[in-house]
Amino acid sequence: MTERILDHPVLGKLDASPKVSFLFNGKEYEGIENEPIAAALLANGVRTLRRHEESGSPRGIYCNIGHCFECRVTVDGVQGMRACLTPVKDGMVVTGGGQLDAPVRDWRKNNG
Amino acid sequence: MADLIIIGSGPAGLSAGITAAECGLSVLILDEYLKPGGRLLGQLYEEPGGKWWNGIEETRKLEERAAALGLDIRLGTAVSNIEKEDGLWHVYTDRETFTAPSLLLATGAAESPVAIPGWTLPGVMSVGAAQVMTNVHRVKPGSRGVIIGVNVLSSAIAMELNMAGIDVAAIALPKMNKVNKDGANPAGVMDSLLHVSHMAPSKFVQFGSKLMQNDFMKKLGITFYPKGGVKMWGIPVMLRKAVIEICGKEQVEGVILATVTTDGRVVPGSEQRIDADFVCIAGGLYPLAELIGLTGCPFHHIDELGGYVPLHNEQMETPVDGLYVAGNITGIEGAKVAMSQGVAAALSIARNSGRQGLDDILREAVDYVSETRRKAHIQFHPEVAEGRRKMQQYWEEYEAAQERIAPEEPAAEKEVLQGV
Amino acid sequence: MADKDMIICRCEEVTYGELVETAEEYGCNARELKLRTRAGMGYCGGRTCRNMVDAVACTVTERDSTQVTLKYQPPVRPVHFGDLGAIGHD
Repeated sequence: MTERILDHPVLGKLDASPKVSFLFNGKEYEGIENEPIAAALLANGVRTLRRHEESGSPRGIYCNIGHCFECRVTVDGVQGMRACLTPVKDGMVVTGGGQLDAPVRDWRKNNG
Repeated sequence: MADLIIIGSGPAGLSAGITAAECGLSVLILDEYLKPGGRLLGQLYEEPGGKWWNGIEETRKLEERAAALGLDIRLGTAVSNIEKEDGLWHVYTDRETFTAPSLLLATGAAESPVAIPGWTLPGVMSVGAAQVMTNVHRVKPGSRGVIIGVNVLSSAIAMELNMAGIDVAAIALPKMNKVNKDGANPAGVMDSLLHVSHMAPSKFVQFGSKLMQNDFMKKLGITFYPKGGVKMWGIPVMLRKAVIEICGKEQVEGVILATVTTDGRVVPGSEQRIDADFVCIAGGLYPLAELIGLTGCPFHHIDELGGYVPLHNEQMETPVDGLYVAGNITGIEGAKVAMSQGVAAALSIARNSGRQGLDDILREAVDYVSETRRKAHIQFHPEVAEGRRKMQQYWEEYEAAQERIAPEEPAAEKEVLQGV
Repeated sequence: MADKDMIICRCEEVTYGELVETAEEYGCNARELKLRTRAGMGYCGGRTCRNMVDAVACTVTERDSTQVTLKYQPPVRPVHFGDLGAIGHD
């Protein structure tokens, strides 16, 4: 469970920015316009952004400033976008990559 | 075409851009992030005297000055390569290619992890990630967290999480292994923390400062360090406990803590599980030098500065013609030092671009960098001044070697270097 | 999870065990360790794991303090094939 920090003892109240609605893996979520996709999803309690291409292990944000690429997702058809620094817009369609087929590896596992 | 391209809109890059524009240069600043400010954005701490250092507010001040000067700042623009051709720098981005005779790299720092079994689980993030999520985006990284790695950065961020109403269950060491060595040694960590006077007044420093006097007392201190930790802002700082595993199936559910000996070995049977829904990894920062690494600029590994640092002088010049550095790319220090370095770099660039009458003010700017360093409340490495001295020595050795090779034409040597 | 199964390179899922065994078997420096295991060769370009790969290599070799152990190469950010060669495009 995560939530937004609406009031902060030093930083004050959270600005009232327009809300947007976007899709992640086919499900609709609400975000604050222009916040990073990763922040919008985390505010909705979504931590898993993709699965490792080979092992399928779940991955979420790690560095949150664009260095590690762990949060890469497909945004409106463009692959490899970093959810931590891509501003969320109304109507955006975001999908997290899943495990990919690895027929050679699977064959080796069974026949190697 | 701009006179100067700055890569990175953190404290160093923004300050440099402002000063360069004030000197009459046209400036283009590039940054891949969606806001200017870099790591300054997340910073929030109380300075001695009770004034708050609020990174968002400091960034806003810089932004306003930049806007008044008409600086061109392109955000969301990732640089993938830089090349020099016929005296001009070409900066390749995911949008377009930019060109300028002078280039300032202010790319800052990246976080260095410690590895713990389970650290790829969603909910595990770098401590800087939690800071940005909390202070900049105002989303809680979770409801109860554990921070792995005890250092200046993690202590400061633990306090920030606490202030935002996020429960930090513990700050503990990482388990000792071949990649987590320095950060996993209780005695070493204690020693480095005791140099951090800015953390006073906290119970931790009160506890520790009594032990500063000599090595025997330090050894005694770590031996008798309370296993449950010493509380700082209500958060137990555990120097005799290490996280040996992060648990969870699809995301973080908790961690396993174990007692460690004074030199970091796990005491068998001491394991205990605590619940958490997020974990922060705090292995420290290292200079992010990937772009300057493409230019042939020489490097030196200097521990006190956080790793491999590009060769540069106090005027923020590198041996590569038209290439300058400022901020954490030159060594890990606080934002105020980065800002003062940005000013010095911009003055060097303006002077080297033919602006007259800047020598005195550049000299003052260089002195101001040292002064800012001396007064810094946050010292990422206690011996940072020694690191800076080493770098200056490497620079002088380099210059002397260049003169030996080509006493008549030092400029020609610089040209050769660019082709490396 | 045993320490040997702990991931060091998150992109290529190279484990601690693989790195330590490879370093010990071949006495390799960081560059060779990277080439043998693929640690640091994934999507992020080694930004996340480079210091850990370095640390493993430093247990069996001396650090070269005047040369970055894992050389940086362009592009330092992934570039879409469609964008390659499109100089000056928007």
